[in-house]
Amino acid sequence: MRAALPKRPVKYLILSLFLVWTLFPIYWMFSLAIREKGELFGALSLVPRSFSFEHFVDLFKTKAFGLSIVNSLTVTLISLSLALALGLACAYILARARFRFKLKGAMLFWVLLLRILPPIAFALPLYILMSDAGLLSTKIPLILSHLLINIPFIVWFMITFFEALPVEVEESAAVDGASEQQLFLRIVLPQVLPGLTAVAILSFMTSWNEYLYSAIFVQSPRNFTIPLTLSTLNSEQELTQWGNIAAGGVLSLVPIAIFVLFAQNFLIAGLSGGAVKE
Amino acid sequence: MKKKSNALYAYMMSSPAMLVLTVLSIFPLLFILWYSLTDYYYLSTRPPRFILFDNYAKLFQDRYFMQALGNTLRFTALAVFFEVLLGLAVAVLVKSFKRGQEALRTVTLLPTLLPPVTVALIWQIMLSNNYGLINNLLGLFGLGPVNWLMDVNTAFYAILVIDIWQYTPFAFLLLYAAMQGIPQGQYEAASIDGAGRWAQFRYVTLPNVLRNVLMVTLLRVIDTFRLFDKVNILTKGGPANTTATITQYIYHNGVNMFKVGFASAASVVMTLIILFLAAGYIRQNFKAREKAGR
Amino acid sequence: MKKTLSLLLAILLVAALAPSALAEPTKLVIAARGGSHVDVINAVKAQFEQENNCVIEVLGLENPDLKQKIALDSRNKAGAYDIVMLDDPWMPEVTEAGMLLNLTEKGYQDDADFVPASLALGKAPYGTGDTFALPFAGNVTLLFYNAELLAGAQVPDSWQGVLDVAKAVNAQDGKVGYVIRGQQGNPIVGDFMPLLWAFGGNIFDADWNVLVDSQQAKDALNLYIQLLANGANYEKNDIVSSVADGKAAMSLGWPSWYISGKASTAGYAKIPGKVDADSAENPAGMIGNWLMGIPANTQHPDLALQLLTYLTSADTQKAAASSGAVPTRISVFNDEALAQEYPFYATLLEATQASRERPRTPRWGDIENVFGIELSNAISGIKTVDQALADAKVAIEDVMR
Repeated sequence: MRAALPKRPVKYLILSLFLVWTLFPIYWMFSLAIREKGELFGALSLVPRSFSFEHFVDLFKTKAFGLSIVNSLTVTLISLSLALALGLACAYILARARFRFKLKGAMLFWVLLLRILPPIAFALPLYILMSDAGLLSTKIPLILSHLLINIPFIVWFMITFFEALPVEVEESAAVDGASEQQLFLRIVLPQVLPGLTAVAILSFMTSWNEYLYSAIFVQSPRNFTIPLTLSTLNSEQELTQWGNIAAGGVLSLVPIAIFVLFAQNFLIAGLSGGAVKE
Repeated sequence: MKKKSNALYAYMMSSPAMLVLTVLSIFPLLFILWYSLTDYYYLSTRPPRFILFDNYAKLFQDRYFMQALGNTLRFTALAVFFEVLLGLAVAVLVKSFKRGQEALRTVTLLPTLLPPVTVALIWQIMLSNNYGLINNLLGLFGLGPVNWLMDVNTAFYAILVIDIWQYTPFAFLLLYAAMQGIPQGQYEAASIDGAGRWAQFRYVTLPNVLRNVLMVTLLRVIDTFRLFDKVNILTKGGPANTTATITQYIYHNGVNMFKVGFASAASVVMTLIILFLAAGYIRQNFKAREKAGR
Repeated sequence: MKKTLSLLLAILLVAALAPSALAEPTKLVIAARGGSHVDVINAVKAQFEQENNCVIEVLGLENPDLKQKIALDSRNKAGAYDIVMLDDPWMPEVTEAGMLLNLTEKGYQDDADFVPASLALGKAPYGTGDTFALPFAGNVTLLFYNAELLAGAQVPDSWQGVLDVAKAVNAQDGKVGYVIRGQQGNPIVGDFMPLLWAFGGNIFDADWNVLVDSQQAKDALNLYIQLLANGANYEKNDIVSSVADGKAAMSLGWPSWYISGKASTAGYAKIPGKVDADSAENPAGMIGNWLMGIPANTQHPDLALQLLTYLTSADTQKAAASSGAVPTRISVFNDEALAQEYPFYATLLEATQASRERPRTPRWGDIENVFGIELSNAISGIKTVDQALADAKVAIEDVMR
C-alpha cells in the first residue's frame, strides 16, 4: 500500500504485457477462423479484412465435424460420469480413518502411482487386450482408457477434500442412526461440492483434449473425436487448410470455455478449499 | 460387529474403481515388463523369443535414445521452472488488483484449456519462416527472418516457449487459488511490523504457498515429462534431434515400427525415471496417508 | 434430476455400444488415406454398388494412423477391411508379414497398361515377384519452379545448373534461390534422395552393403548444403506458397501439393538427373505411389478383387482426374482430352518412367528415421558432412542387423 503510486504504472504495464502475450495467439486463431479463404495467403494483416463463416460451414459439411462433436461429447460424458461415480466412492473410503481393511495401503499406493506413470507405457498392451476382446469398432476402448486417466486423478484430488471435512459431523449423524450410505450421500457429498466441481471440470478438460490414446484406439472416422479430426486437417500430402484448423480450434474451445465461465467460482473455491493444500 | 459391516461397505465402495484400474493397468504393466525381455515384433509370423536384457543393452547404447532422454530432462527442468516462477509472479500480480480479478483469471486460463494439437498448429502458423506473423513483425525492425522451428539454435527454445505459454496459466490458477486461503490477518500483522511488499511476499505469501508450489511443480513435471504432441507436429524431433523426446522415441519404435519388445523396454526405463523423479513425493505422501488412514 | 441423469447416461451408453450399421447385403470397407483419395472413391463407387448389390464404406485415415490400423487389424482372424491403401515403401514390411492376399495366386493377370515403374511397386519381391497390390494413385517428386524468377532462363537440367540459378536469384533482394524441405525425418530424406541418386549414389548396393558414406553421397550432401546457403529451409505449406507467389525460385515436391495453383506462374519439371552438363544422366525422381491391396483376412476376397480392379481401371482414373488424382495408367496419361486440361501429364509420365523407388526393406521406417537425423545434423552444422554420413552408415547398419 505504501509506495503504491510509483509502482502502479509499472504494474499495469506488466499486466498488459502478460495479457497480450497470453491472449494474442487466441486472438490470432479467432481472426484466422473468420477470414475468407482468399485472405489467407501471403502476409496477413493484424485485423481481418474480410468476414465469413465459410471455414465453419466447410468443417461441418466436408469434415463431418458435427459427428466429431457428438463423439467427443459421448466419450467425455460417459467416461466422466463413470470416473466420478467410481472415483468419489473410492476416495471417500481411502480418506476416512474409520474404514480399515487389508488392501487400503496398497490401493493408496497404486492410485498415486497411476497418476504418475506415462500413458504411452499402457497404450500397446491395452490395444492388444482390446483387440483380443473384439472391442475396437466401438467407443469402449476410448472410454476405458479415459477412465484409466481420470479415476486416479479424481481419487487423488478428492481424498484431500474429504480429509479437509471435519469428521464430527458424520459422527453425530451416525449417532442419530444414519447408515453409511446415507452419511456419504446426504452429509458428506454436499459439503465437497465445490471441490467436486473443480475436479469434474479438470477431468472433463483432460478427456476432451486427449489425443494419444485416441490416436491409437479409434479405428474408424465414425468414432473420431475432435482432436483426431483436427489432426487430420494438417495432412502430409495435401496443403494445410489453416482456416479450417483455426475454426476447429475455436469450436473445440467452446464447451470448456462455457464451463469455466459459469463454474469459475466453484473452480477457485474448490481449488483453494483443499486440493492444492496437499 | 460394527467394524465388520464397515469393512464390507468399504470394499463395496472402493472395489469397483480398483477393479477397473487393476484390469486396465496391472495387466498392461505386467505385459510390458514381460515384452521388454523378448524380441516381440508385432508383425512377426513366429512367436516372440526370450532375450533377457538385450533390449535394455541396445537402448542404452543407442545415442538417439540418450539424446531424447537428455532433451526430455532438460526440457522438463526448464519448462517447469519458468511455468511455476511465472505462475507465482502472475498470481501475486493479479491478487494485488482490487477489481477485475475474476475477469483476469478467466481470460488468462484460455491457453491451458486448448487441445495441445490446436496449440501446436496455431503456433506453427505464427512462427512460419515464410509469411509468419512473428517474422513479419521482426521484419518491421529490420530483423530476421528467423527459422524458429528448423534452426538448431532456436527450435528447442521455441517449443519451450510454447509450453510455457500454455501452462503458466495452469500454475497461476492453482497458486492463485492457494493464495485465496491465506488469512488476511497475516498480511495486516506483517504490515504493522513495517514489512514492505517484498517482505510480505517473502515472509507471508511464500511460506503459505510453498507446499502448493511443490505440488504444482510435481504435477507439471509429470505432464511435461510426457511431451509428445507439440514435438510431433512442429519439429518431428529435429533439427539435429534437438527436440526428440522419450515418448516420441517410444511412439516411433512401438506404434510406427511395431517393435513392441524394444519399445516396452524403453517404456519401462521411462517409468523408472519418472518414479525416481517423484520418489520423494510418493514416499512423503504415502507415509502421511498411511498415518491418517490407519 | 437423478433419474434424468441416469436416463441420459443409459442413452449415451447405448449410443456408444451400438454396432455401427444394421444388417446389409454385403458391406465392403476400404481403409484409405484421408483427403482427396476418399473423395475420388466416393465419387465413383455408386456404379459398383448398384451392379454388385453391395455397400462400400470408405474410411479416410492419416498416413501414420493408416499404416498402424492396417497392421494391427491384420492380426485379427476376421479382418475389418476388404481393401487397404498402402504407401509404396510399406510393401516389404506388409508382404513379409503375410498381411496381403496374393493377387496372382487369386488369378489376377498383370495389366500392361499400368506404368511399369508403378506396377513393380506392388510386387513382392519388388519388380519380379507375384502381384500383391495395384497402383491406385501415381506420384513422383518433381522440380517445382517459378517461371518469372527464372526470367527466361531454361529450367536447369543439372544440379550445378540448379545451384547457379539459385545463386543468381538469391542475390536479388527478398528472393529465395532454392527451398529445401529440411525437416528431420521423412521430409529431409525425401528431399535429399533425388540428389543422392543424381550423383550416382545410393543408400545400399545390390547386396545391402551401406553406401551412404561414399564420395557421391558426400558430394551430393555438400551441394545440398550449398543450395540451402543460397536459399531457405521451409515446411511444405511454406514451400508451396513461396514458389507459387514468386518469392522462391525452385524446390522439390509432390505434384499433389500444387494441383490447385493453376493461375500461378509456377510450373514443374522433371528433377535433374545429372551433376553438371557433362555428366551422365541418372534417374532421380522419387516415386511415391498409393497402392491398393486386399488384406489376407478379408471376409469377401472375390468381391474385393472385383472392386480393386474397378477402382484401378482406366475409367475410374479418368473420372478421378478432376479431383486431383494422378493416374498410374499409360492410356490415361495419354488421353487427349485429359492432356489438354492437364498439360503437366506428359512431364509426370516421363518423370514416373525415369523414377526410382526407395530401398525395398521392411526396415525402411527406421532407416528414414536415423538417416533423417544425421542429414539434419549435417545441414545445421552440428556435424561435418563426413562425420554425419559416417554416423549415418553406422546407424543404418545397426538398423539392418
